[in-house]
Amino acid sequence: MTDLFIEGVALDASWRDRDRSLTDLIFDAVRAAIDDSGQPLEGIDSVVLAAHDLVDGRSLSSMVTAPAAAAYLRDEIRYGDDGAGAFAAAMTRLEAGHNRRTIVAGWGRASEHDVDAVSHGLFDPFFGRPVGLDELAVSALRAQAWIQRHGTAGRDAAWRRRRERAARNPRAVTQSGVQQSAPYPLRPEELPVWADFAVAVVMSTEPAGVKVAGMGQSSDPYHLGDRDLVGMPALVDAAGKALADAGAALSDVEVVELDALTGFDEALAVEALGLAEPGSAFGYLAEHDSVNPSGGCAAGYCAPAMGLARIVEATLQLRGTAGPVQQDAPRRALATGSSTIGSQTQTAIVLEAA
Amino acid sequence: MAADQDLITDVTDVEPVEIPGRWDFAFTYFAGNAASRFFAEIRENRRVMGTRCPKCRRLLVPARSFCDACFERTTEWVPVSNEGTLETFTIITAAFPGLPEPPVVLAYVTLDGADTALVNVVTGVDCSDIDAAAARLFEQPRVRLSFVAEPQGRMTDFSFVLAD
Ligand SMILES: [Zn+2]
Repeated sequence: MTDLFIEGVALDASWRDRDRSLTDLIFDAVRAAIDDSGQPLEGIDSVVLAAHDLVDGRSLSSMVTAPAAAAYLRDEIRYGDDGAGAFAAAMTRLEAGHNRRTIVAGWGRASEHDVDAVSHGLFDPFFGRPVGLDELAVSALRAQAWIQRHGTAGRDAAWRRRRERAARNPRAVTQSGVQQSAPYPLRPEELPVWADFAVAVVMSTEPAGVKVAGMGQSSDPYHLGDRDLVGMPALVDAAGKALADAGAALSDVEVVELDALTGFDEALAVEALGLAEPGSAFGYLAEHDSVNPSGGCAAGYCAPAMGLARIVEATLQLRGTAGPVQQDAPRRALATGSSTIGSQTQTAIVLEAA
Repeated sequence: MAADQDLITDVTDVEPVEIPGRWDFAFTYFAGNAASRFFAEIRENRRVMGTRCPKCRRLLVPARSFCDACFERTTEWVPVSNEGTLETFTIITAAFPGLPEPPVVLAYVTLDGADTALVNVVTGVDCSDIDAAAARLFEQPRVRLSFVAEPQGRMTDFSFVLAD
């Protein structure tokens, strides 16, 4: 199999920056990632995008946005799902020999759309939308299913530590621009910090500082009632595939960047992956900075850019350039990205310091 | 336990359910500094501005913050002429909610000094005979900008009219 490497990364997080249009945000991030790679534009042959028409408010929006991601006269495809999935799609194209050097870019601008309306609109018109489901409601159902079994001890300490990490992260937005009412049993401090994101990665077949060692993808059933809300089998399956692909065990992973809508989703993912014993996620998160050292969704959130943001944060950790949130010289990282509708599809990526 | 006669094995003898739907989402689109300046120049000074790419040297109209062909930030702001040449056109004959009653002439006009064309409506063309109107526009006439009485800083502040 062809070895793949990350040559350049950029993460642009902001809130309601009226000086910049959406295409300005995308251009700034992609330009910064290319500059970070040190590669000339001419050496890049392709672009893989992660964007949603509904989030962008521009239908077939890659016509508007793709040129801002350097798509002009390049092979461009758009992945209508999370950015980690777009990263995985870019990997397969590079491994197939179809492309040599690719830009992966994903974005979401929460300040331009109504996040609650979009979240509700994602659900099916027969069973989901009529009863008022939205993404936060799914997270709350999931949280309550966990609380039924394990209670809430240690919850505050876990979130305090997470907020402290986000506050130290120079790339974070820590004040949500959207005031949402927390559905029971979620609390305001567990809700996503809505922000505007443009994220970009340059990946190629040429050796560079961070190697893409493994990838796995999986999917849950649609109907929420069919799902194991606490066990997150799609996440477990995707992470297992990625680790097997990398020839590594979970214990070999030193940094984990998990995509999660709410803090509670992050805690459940920690247990589902096996990082913490069932019922002990809060205690684990209160004691470990190695899971979401970036602050996770407390450092800003907007689908579908989050999986790619997690990959960028993991890359910075492996390079040793994560700044104040840098962990102690990690050699291997796991990053995940999930789709909307209660993280139905999951992508896991294993990265290694080359 | 249901009796055998209660088992449903045929689902075709029901009234199929149809649920009316409507996608209606509110957005706030931030134009950014480049488009905002472009619209402000139209509103305040009734002129069209372009930005020049430092690499290919093209003057791009409407003005924008980067050249997507060279992937470079634009640097200079340059006004273009209020006159130009109609390159190609179409005559829209279908009505669309919120837009002017058809027939409507849309044209691709390169204003003097610009390296790219601007698409907008051509007003004042007698379209009572579509073929006759098309024959006139086929000559690729010179056109000029015509502004509304009270510009709002939008594309609808101006249209093209035949120069002669
Ligand atoms: Zn140029």
